[in-house]
Amino acid sequence: MLSILPQLLVNSLITGSIYALASSGLALSYGLLRILNFAHGHIMMIGAYTFLFFHVQEEMSFLPAAIFSTACVVALGACALSAFILPFMRSSSLLPLITTIALGTILESLVSIFFGVNVRSFPSASASESIECGGVYITPLQIFIISSALVILGVLGFIVHKTSLGRKVRAIAENKPAAEGLGISSTFVMYTVFIISTILGAYAGILVGYETNIQPTMGGSYSIKAFAAMVLGGLGNIWGTIAGAFILGLVENLSIGLDFWGYSLPAGYKDAFAFLIILAVLLLRPQGLFGTVSRSS
Amino acid sequence: MDLVQLLTSDYAIHLAILIALYLILAQSLNLTFGLGQLFNLAHVASYAVGAYATALLSTECESPFWVCITVSVLLSGLFAVLLGGIALRLSNDYFAIGTLAFSSVVSALLINWKSLTKGVLGIPGIPRPEFFGIDFYQNVNFLALIGVFAALTQVLLYCLYVSPLGRSLRALAEYERAAAALGTDTRLIRNIAFFISSSLAGLAGSFFAYYLNYIDPSSFALSEMVFVLTIVIVGKPGSFMGVIGATIFLVLLPEPLRFLDINSAYLGPMRQLLHAGILFGVVWWNRHRLFPQRRQV
Repeated sequence: MLSILPQLLVNSLITGSIYALASSGLALSYGLLRILNFAHGHIMMIGAYTFLFFHVQEEMSFLPAAIFSTACVVALGACALSAFILPFMRSSSLLPLITTIALGTILESLVSIFFGVNVRSFPSASASESIECGGVYITPLQIFIISSALVILGVLGFIVHKTSLGRKVRAIAENKPAAEGLGISSTFVMYTVFIISTILGAYAGILVGYETNIQPTMGGSYSIKAFAAMVLGGLGNIWGTIAGAFILGLVENLSIGLDFWGYSLPAGYKDAFAFLIILAVLLLRPQGLFGTVSRSS
Repeated sequence: MDLVQLLTSDYAIHLAILIALYLILAQSLNLTFGLGQLFNLAHVASYAVGAYATALLSTECESPFWVCITVSVLLSGLFAVLLGGIALRLSNDYFAIGTLAFSSVVSALLINWKSLTKGVLGIPGIPRPEFFGIDFYQNVNFLALIGVFAALTQVLLYCLYVSPLGRSLRALAEYERAAAALGTDTRLIRNIAFFISSSLAGLAGSFFAYYLNYIDPSSFALSEMVFVLTIVIVGKPGSFMGVIGATIFLVLLPEPLRFLDINSAYLGPMRQLLHAGILFGVVWWNRHRLFPQRRQV
């Protein structure tokens, strides 16, 4: 049983990388806007499908396809923020929840209409041959997923902690009126952050398309998984969320990979585990695994 | 076709049954989401619990109508106690995530617990109810049955809306601390509302299973939740008559799509798109009125 453990750990690292990319964007925008974006998973799905459109259907090569789909996703992110989130922020905290659910459903049904509801995937000819390394099988694609996730998350950390944009983001998250009083344009910062979060999500969506497959209904379940990572790490806490994403990947893979006293769980229950984790954490440690209890007014 | 013929046609009776079904489902959501402003995303999960309870009891145990319906209602109520025990400790965003996680656990179980629910294949051959020698395979008779139950539910819920319980629920939604200071038991009131709302969703689920004779997990997806949510929002949350009007309007609205020359594969996504579009439009239009600002004391 222990012989498959290294393989499971590597698999968890791959899943965790994708979850980390998906959820760090969500945590970034939640930290700033305090809005739960239910459509985040659907934006991932749109990223994957625009890439599918340009790369597979229009047969563009990788780079132009990536540029075009990034442009589409940036436009979508800007529209989503200006039409579906910002107008509702002042009225009630419930409204953006409802409108982002509506946005997610709209995106899902549009993709179902234009691309069909069937499962699709990206062709990856050279990347599918596994390399064996000490009993662990890994494909070049998976190495790329892990390393690109680490690089992107590193850059994200640099932006948040070392650049003036990052300082503005943290200032607005802490005290919006004071930050605006010091001349920081909160609109500009909100758009920038939201667009970064959509790009991260779209990139994660494309990786999902290469690593497994995509379908229009994937959005909802990835939204919930990103929430799970965020709840694990504490809402709005980026580093906590990234750690939460890797923990989620680990738990999912271990739960179905290991057998417990001769009894192993069917693979379908993998998703149920993510949701049970959310419930358990909400019940026992609502501030997240890495959060501290704070009283807000 | 003249009017009398149209109104007694099978198609009209089918629509009337759907309206009765959604009246129960939407008006019960209106109790928690409308009156209590609890963003309960697990309502359709309660509906699923009721539907599966009836489906399994009537096919596996051949239980009579009254047993099925009582067990469905009680099980959904029990489900609400469990859900309320966890989710009602949480507030705002956490509450939404918690209920969403709960409903995802239910749908993961419906798909994966194959020995009980038969997974995505669903449960076929659910017999219509049988008592007093009435043939409920005739849709007219079934309409009479569900009509009686829908009417009773509406009366019950109307009584609740104007009862002290309804007032406390409204007060808690408007200003929780003031209501609590005046001696309202926050947790108890909300748990009771949750229990009633979820039991009635179970009742609707039971009728759904009886009516279609077949259920599968896809009937209880998030898109169904979006539809019920749309009904309550279009009817104005907390408004009894509004939700009745909105149910009739929204059930009938996508019907003309049937008569257009559209590929049937597009029908589902188009209906979803229509509902989500209406949901967004109504929220946009009413964003300052939908959830009134909390009154200042």
